[in-house]
Amino acid sequence: MTFSWKRIYAIFNKDLKDLSKNLFVSSIIVLPILMAFLYGGMYDMNLELHYMVINLTLASVTAFIQCAVIAEEKEKHTLRGLMLSPASLTEILTGKSLVTLFLTAITLVLCSMIMDYEPASLGMVAIALIISMLFYIGIGTLLGLLSRTVVEASVIILPVIFLFGFGSLLMVLVDKYPALSFIEYLPNIQLVEFAYKVEEGLGFGDLWSHLAILLAWAVVSFIVTAFVYKKRELD
Amino acid sequence: MENIIEVKNLAKVFGNQSALEDVNFQVKKGETFGFLGPSGSGKTTTIKILTGQLLQTSGDAEVFGVKNTALNTAAYRKRIGVLSDNSGLYQRLSIEENLKLYCDLYDVPRKRMEEVLDLVNLSGERKKVVSKLSKGMTQRVLLARTLLHEPDLLFLDEPTSALDPANSKQIHDGLRLLNEKGTTIFLTTHDMSEAETLCNRVAFLNKGKIQLLDEPKTLRRQFADGSVRLELKNGQIISLPGGAEGADEVYKYMSNNEIVSIHSNEPTLGDIFVEITGRELV
Ligand SMILES: Nc1ncnc2c1ncn2[C@@H]1O[C@H](COP(=O)(O)OP(=O)(O)OP(=O)(O)O)[C@@H](O)[C@H]1O
Ligand SMILES: [Mg+2]
Repeated sequence: MTFSWKRIYAIFNKDLKDLSKNLFVSSIIVLPILMAFLYGGMYDMNLELHYMVINLTLASVTAFIQCAVIAEEKEKHTLRGLMLSPASLTEILTGKSLVTLFLTAITLVLCSMIMDYEPASLGMVAIALIISMLFYIGIGTLLGLLSRTVVEASVIILPVIFLFGFGSLLMVLVDKYPALSFIEYLPNIQLVEFAYKVEEGLGFGDLWSHLAILLAWAVVSFIVTAFVYKKRELD
Repeated sequence: MENIIEVKNLAKVFGNQSALEDVNFQVKKGETFGFLGPSGSGKTTTIKILTGQLLQTSGDAEVFGVKNTALNTAAYRKRIGVLSDNSGLYQRLSIEENLKLYCDLYDVPRKRMEEVLDLVNLSGERKKVVSKLSKGMTQRVLLARTLLHEPDLLFLDEPTSALDPANSKQIHDGLRLLNEKGTTIFLTTHDMSEAETLCNRVAFLNKGKIQLLDEPKTLRRQFADGSVRLELKNGQIISLPGGAEGADEVYKYMSNNEIVSIHSNEPTLGDIFVEITGRELV
């Protein structure tokens, strides 16, 4: 197993340059930023609304960009060239994930500035966001491997955006039907609950369980992705 | 001579459809080996097996003395160059940006870019965005990319199928130069004249097996039937069989001074292929 930062950086650089010219994919960033402006101007901002925008960023920017860049490499037959080079799949995906993380981070910072969101503990929130991003990177990679074209990718990602991006609306259902209480364990809901506790000034002792659940989601998404890839490779 | 590629009883089945049945051949160090066969005969499949992109159903394939099942390493991929039949470039980036990525992936200095661009005659277009290139130019950029790291062994899957004769010739010249410098080339093509001009040996693949394998000139000699073609002064062109009967006819025309030109009817590789397989090689 090789791991060369030079190759990872080369792929990072290429993807960043390519995305800057690929408006179909990169313009997704506008979506959460618009939402941030909209909410910021219309309402008295609260944590719930902050996290509407943050969760939307994760589901749209993180998952979609990751999914679309992988699908495009398949659609344009460029992935094979990379795979035949000394770069390993891990290096290729790491390079791509770093681009996605970079763009997500920029979007999150911009949205937070627009909405005036300043968490009580930036460190804690950053940890939770990073773990969440890993989960969405996993989902994006999985769906990217499953779709053959960018258009397919932008359709297959829609359920993810609805479920995780607008998922806080689902909490209304949980209050009505207790049988749906598992929804509380979804990563987007966990992230909101975590954020509330941070604002209450709670420490790691009260926060770790949310982080553990988020981490579990990230690990599961990576395992499923690896499994699907192996299975596809054998076909 | 050292064998770079050795293939024994290679078979590949997709689902319930057999693509390769029993393929056997060796490629020697330093040669240009032509792998010919009609569409769907398994040429690309063979390349994929030899380059670690696909596993065979049964049989053995070795490259550089290593079993293909153990080939999926960075070290192996640094020694080979693959131009597959549907390789792609990054359409929104320039030629130069595409090549820079591969310089970094293969860890070769950026100045190699100039050399390969010269080789495919694209030095002047380096800043052009790939989506604006013609098909032939795209193919030449792909070839340049394949040559960046100076591979010992080149796999070329129909390298000139999209090119006009002038561009094909230029690529042929480049490939001949590389071959003279010691690069071993494994080439698939539909183009019989390409095979004749470039290849030291050719193999005919059909129905899952190698039907024939030899040097082009040996094959042509082997399949020559001794017939000749005459062009007569009255404009007629006639073909005469070899042997006493044909010789008598030639004698007759020649004594009457009726002949404008006389040529031996050497079979082309295409003719031989049709004769062996009963199929046109398209
Ligand atoms: N991944 C695959 N799954 C199923 N069948 C396949 C697959 N790849 C190739 N085949 C089949 O195997 C056979 C050989 O295909 P291959 O692409 O190797 O032919 P080829 O000689 O390269 O043809 P061409 O000259 O058209 O490129 C074909 O019948 C093809 O349909
Ligand atoms: Mg083919």
